[in-house]
Amino acid sequence: MRQPPVRCVEFVESVTDWMEDALGDGDRLTLEEHLAICPHCTEYVGQLRLAVALLREVGETVPRTSPPPEARASLLDAFRHERRA
Amino acid sequence: MRSRGPPRCWTGRRNALRCRTAVELSTHYLEGALAPDELTCCPQGLGDGGCAVASASGMSGDDPGLRADDESSGDGALVDALRRGDETAFASLVDRYYDTMLRVARMHVATREAAEDVVQETLLGVIRGIDHFEARSSLRTWMFRILINQAKTRGERERRTRPFSSFAAELEADEPSVDPDRFIASGRWAGFWALPPVGRDLPEARVLAAEAGDRLVGAIEALPPTQRTVITLRDVKGLSAAEVCELLDISEANQRVLLHRARSKTRATLEHYLDERVEVS
Repeated sequence: MRQPPVRCVEFVESVTDWMEDALGDGDRLTLEEHLAICPHCTEYVGQLRLAVALLREVGETVPRTSPPPEARASLLDAFRHERRA
Repeated sequence: MRSRGPPRCWTGRRNALRCRTAVELSTHYLEGALAPDELTCCPQGLGDGGCAVASASGMSGDDPGLRADDESSGDGALVDALRRGDETAFASLVDRYYDTMLRVARMHVATREAAEDVVQETLLGVIRGIDHFEARSSLRTWMFRILINQAKTRGERERRTRPFSSFAAELEADEPSVDPDRFIASGRWAGFWALPPVGRDLPEARVLAAEAGDRLVGAIEALPPTQRTVITLRDVKGLSAAEVCELLDISEANQRVLLHRARSKTRATLEHYLDERVEVS
């Protein structure tokens, strides 16, 4: 079934559903038709993907927050105490 | 019996970025953190790249050895170690999940200190409860269920004294993804870009200065807690949509709403950064 064409203002609201493959075929095709003719929304998608890729880079280089040493020590104490009992 | 041929590509659509996503997720996949279904029919569109990953690993997507949906099967040794009182096993559990637990707790309580308390209580609960853990779910799912219950209880108690942005309020808020002034307001072209993102050859993430990543992390820190948690787990830590829904106990649709809002704001920050970068050079 044909659906009315999408405008940019609607495209930017649906783009995550599209990127996550959460759309039915009809909606997906409508968005992809828009994307095929709209360089600005294409640029928008490129920026979104670059942002996601940058966050992955950060995730790979930045170590995760370690537990505060006191909290970690008291948990290990509790573990020792509980498991020995 | 299912055929053991190469995994089907989901759509057959050609899209280099999807393959790049696949390559980024390949370690995740090879470690068994993605279910085979996510390879052959991945919500992230592992598509062609998924096939490449599978053939690189010499395994088919149907190989039962890769079935990560049975994540609990890998827990046996760890659960035994915890029950035996193996301190190293417990310490590694704490180090591995503390950060994620803290973020999830932060969705429900107002301060970092309160979230730290919740995580502490949860891990004490794990110590006390491990003998009763029946492996009906994975150890991780079980721990996060305890965590979310604790955090919600604490959050409700807090809200009686001081209101703050709740999960429900965050979902209900109506926020445009892009400043409405950037679209043409009326006439034949209403709803099309008036001030579009500047078209340029986008650099590879790898070649952008660390400063760009820092700016995006800053943008994430400024997000409401639930959006911040979802984008951190999905994009920074690389968890799948299904994993995030399970850990946070939220629906697929709500996960996408939160991810969408968070990514929209992060993109806006990147756009500012790229515009400034051109002005300087």
